[in-house]
Amino acid sequence: MLTAEQAKAKEPGNGKQDRWIPSSCSLCYGMCSILGHNVDGTLTKIEGNPDSACGEGRLCAKGVAGIMTLYDPNRVNVPMKRTNPAKGIGIDPQWVEISWDEALEIAVKKLKEVHDHDPAELFLQGTTTCASEMHAGLFTFGMAFGTDAVWVGGGGIHCGSGAHQVGGLMHASWSLVPDFKMCNYAIYFGASKGHSAGHVANQNAQLAADARARGMQMVVVDPMCNFASGKGNEWVPIRVGTDAALALGMANVLVNELGMYDRPYLKQCTNAAYLVKEDGHYLRDAASGKPLVCDEAGGGVRVFDAGLVEGVAILGTFTVQGVTVQPAFQILKEHLKKYTPEYCSEITTIPAANIRRLAREFGEAARIGSTIVIDGQEFPYRPAAAIFFRGSQGHKNSTWNCVSIDLLNHLVGSADNVGGALGFNPVCYGHPETGRPYYAPEPTPDGLMITGTWMHPHKPFPANDAAAPVSIGMREFFPWAMTSPFYGAADREEWWNRFHIQRRPKVMINFGANAIMSVGNKDVVADAFKDVFIISFDIFKNEMTDFADLVLPDTSYLERLFPSPNYPFIFNHPGSMGNWSWPIRQPVVEAGGQRRDFLRVMYEIGSRLGLLAKVNEAYNTHFELKEPYTLKPGVKYEFEEIVDKVLKNFFGEAHGLAWFKVNGVMSWPKKAEEVYWRSRVPVRVPVYFEIFQTTGEQVRKLAQEFGIENELNYQSYQALPDWNPCATHECRDPQYDLISFYYRDTIHTNSLTMENPWLDEAAQMNDYSYNIAVNAATARKKGLKDGDMIWVESSYKRKVKGKLKTTEGIHPEGVGVAALAGHWSKDLPIALGKGVFYNELIEVDYEHMDPGNLNMDLCAKVRIYKA
Amino acid sequence: MPRWGMVIDLLKCIGCYGCQMSCKAENATPPGVTLARVEVTEIGSYPNVTRVNLPLLCMQCNEPPCERVCPTKATQIREDGIVFVEEEKCIGCKYCMIACPYGARYFVEDTHAYFGEQGLTPYEKAGYAEHGKGVVQKCDYCRHRIDAGLAQGLTPGVDREATPACVTNCMAKARYFGDLEDPNSEVSQLVARAQAFQLSPEFGTDPNTHYLPAGRLVVAAEPANVVHKKG
Repeated sequence: MLTAEQAKAKEPGNGKQDRWIPSSCSLCYGMCSILGHNVDGTLTKIEGNPDSACGEGRLCAKGVAGIMTLYDPNRVNVPMKRTNPAKGIGIDPQWVEISWDEALEIAVKKLKEVHDHDPAELFLQGTTTCASEMHAGLFTFGMAFGTDAVWVGGGGIHCGSGAHQVGGLMHASWSLVPDFKMCNYAIYFGASKGHSAGHVANQNAQLAADARARGMQMVVVDPMCNFASGKGNEWVPIRVGTDAALALGMANVLVNELGMYDRPYLKQCTNAAYLVKEDGHYLRDAASGKPLVCDEAGGGVRVFDAGLVEGVAILGTFTVQGVTVQPAFQILKEHLKKYTPEYCSEITTIPAANIRRLAREFGEAARIGSTIVIDGQEFPYRPAAAIFFRGSQGHKNSTWNCVSIDLLNHLVGSADNVGGALGFNPVCYGHPETGRPYYAPEPTPDGLMITGTWMHPHKPFPANDAAAPVSIGMREFFPWAMTSPFYGAADREEWWNRFHIQRRPKVMINFGANAIMSVGNKDVVADAFKDVFIISFDIFKNEMTDFADLVLPDTSYLERLFPSPNYPFIFNHPGSMGNWSWPIRQPVVEAGGQRRDFLRVMYEIGSRLGLLAKVNEAYNTHFELKEPYTLKPGVKYEFEEIVDKVLKNFFGEAHGLAWFKVNGVMSWPKKAEEVYWRSRVPVRVPVYFEIFQTTGEQVRKLAQEFGIENELNYQSYQALPDWNPCATHECRDPQYDLISFYYRDTIHTNSLTMENPWLDEAAQMNDYSYNIAVNAATARKKGLKDGDMIWVESSYKRKVKGKLKTTEGIHPEGVGVAALAGHWSKDLPIALGKGVFYNELIEVDYEHMDPGNLNMDLCAKVRIYKA
Repeated sequence: MPRWGMVIDLLKCIGCYGCQMSCKAENATPPGVTLARVEVTEIGSYPNVTRVNLPLLCMQCNEPPCERVCPTKATQIREDGIVFVEEEKCIGCKYCMIACPYGARYFVEDTHAYFGEQGLTPYEKAGYAEHGKGVVQKCDYCRHRIDAGLAQGLTPGVDREATPACVTNCMAKARYFGDLEDPNSEVSQLVARAQAFQLSPEFGTDPNTHYLPAGRLVVAAEPANVVHKKG
């Protein structure tokens, strides 16, 4: 057996039949670097690649088990077309195998029709599991074709619009982690970072484990004591969906009871000092239009960036230019007063004394005023972090939940400072030889931060002005939404009619997403897709494929080439000090059957549609290509050429595809000022959200024009964070006494890996993975016992059945279900019938979305009873 | 002569099943055979409750009851402490499975396919051929990796290729491997800690697999380079 090091030193394809090939995992969007052991053409093992910062040679269970996904005999191997015109759940599509030529002909004909009629009626759907390829293949095609109707089936609308919006707005990054190497006190709100799921899963697991062993105190706020909470020093059980109330209670204690906040940070790095008029807007300089600040006596009025830092006022009430104004922080401070620990206790069920204690512990741990020297440079030292993710953000109050939690970091000055809450890599000054990639946040004229890079063409901030919607996603009207659940919503027609939108989704290209399962109630979503012509790239036939008209056999991640699985670094590259790593994905085995790579097929389709120039232009934008590596308008490239250009664009002539095929990954050390950039980059973030208020005023005006002012919820369009209830909290029917939620299992990625028999075997050995977790005392009161088959029925009378797991580790009102299980497709024999299809309980309509960012609410008011 | 041992830090372990999966991938074990596995349970009463992730494998006992009951001496102890099964000698009597207090042994009657009647995958075809049928399998600390590594001059526990697959792969770096005869090895240093323990010492098996407890209190030390101390 060749060692990885030996294999790396040899050119692959040199006649050896035993090779370790460096590539990248894609069984979740973490995309850790791997080595595939190919013996005589068979993949015999997948290991982590120790040369890459993306995992440092370790893999989660899913990554190791990928071999059984690759070789699943149920993989799709040939193109197929539907012959049964009837579509519905349980209806056999009556597939007929066809040639690739015929398949492409059908696809191009359908797409040509929609392109000629109205390109915006093409709807694109992709999976987060293969996020890199999805972004590169779908987003570029959408740009070239002329549609922005894109959703990330399930993933995006379940976890994206709040967490990533606030990550981008406040940290110039996709997500947050504690600075594990330096943090002493981390408080998690519905997040599992470092406990085997999602972005940077492997590296975070190592960093978090080392941090615990070093003595980092971890407090986990969660309705359920599972992955992160089970490892915490303290589990804080909370009523589902009330995280903002706890965070605002803690903020109130810090500001108004303890006076514990980082004044220099607030003055320099936020808009705390910006003077705000009684109408809620900034007082602006007449000439420049910039926000004004003043000194603590109300004098020295000047624009915010005119040099007044130390003596600038963040508290007080002043009359400036004849107008009554207050610094933004003064208004926030007053606003927080209503969040007394006693009030927040009623909402969250957490005792008031604990809220006070947690606030004090967090504030003390932050050591406001301390500094530390790293690599010869002095940085603020704030070893306390508050982080959020899918659990806390997956609610109707999505944006404010995240803002409220993150506010804790900004109050104590720990955002992107040593030991604090780090965005994933918002600053990169490039490889030493090329200076690429190079990006850093930049200020708007108001001084607020724009991310240096982003995953989507449109950055999270600044948002567009609200406008009358014309697209089927209606995001013109909801400018803070990263994606739109309206495509599959029960009330979509109602909303389209309100805005007189004549367009309807006519054709869909699906890249591997199973939206019938991953969005919400299956009947609601199925209704939205039944009349759409669906071209579906898949590795398995599944519940979504049952609605497709054309199925194209895709390569798996182990069979394809891709230049940048971990770039932009804000998505799934480890934070904290260490190395930058840029790995590639390359085939570790030859593609089986007639499988073809999604990206290559999309490029071919684009070319046949006559869109080559636009596709090439979109690729140039997506991959940030600069001369001499840009794609030329009239040239049809081989995919290998494009990959080669992308790599050379970033790492120079000597480091193209040939170099990466052998070496797999380019690494170089991070600089301290890249990781701890907050005190170095002249940008500010809001602690007062005039930006949301402004959008709200635009939305209200438009709503008046359309006569729907009273149909809208404006809770997301104010300047200060609040806790607002989910629909579940407002359900008053006493028989529905519990709140259900789902959580990410460590052993499974969404619905995809349920078909992997190694992972299924492990999940069956776990008491929680496929069962319904209910508090033991709650179950006893209802006469239910461990192992009973039960119904979980929502207040909308939707219900799912599963096996009860009684546990001490869940809030007495909670009903917890793992992952996205309960497949019913007979084309997935391993997955069939395993676990519980939680999403059946989720309503997909405006009432159950954050009215600003459109994130879906994922909890339901339920009752449980014996089946 | 070294005596190979493992330390599993339960404070670091997150119950991800990576050990179970990497063992399966390394050793091509058939369905139902999990030479490394994880048991997940909870202790305490609401709200003072926590999860316990307990990774299990053969404890590689210095006094292995399985070895004593084996009628054909198929189960043997190497000089380096590794307990293994010589499959050619195993008659599948399962005495060892009853004797083992850790449930670490598996009888493999036949190599069933993970996809049932759909047949063996190319991976299974390649991997299962290396195992006997009608025999008992157990973890042997990936002795093939240790032996191949030593032959190349590598150090088990330090070099990836010479280290058990579950240790190499552990994403929380919760597993340590090395020579317990060497007092300076990392594993010896960890075992010397007062908190280190062996599973079920009452059986008198004296395992070479040790654990560090999940619930121990650790206080973060002050970094050396804090120059302006407040808070």
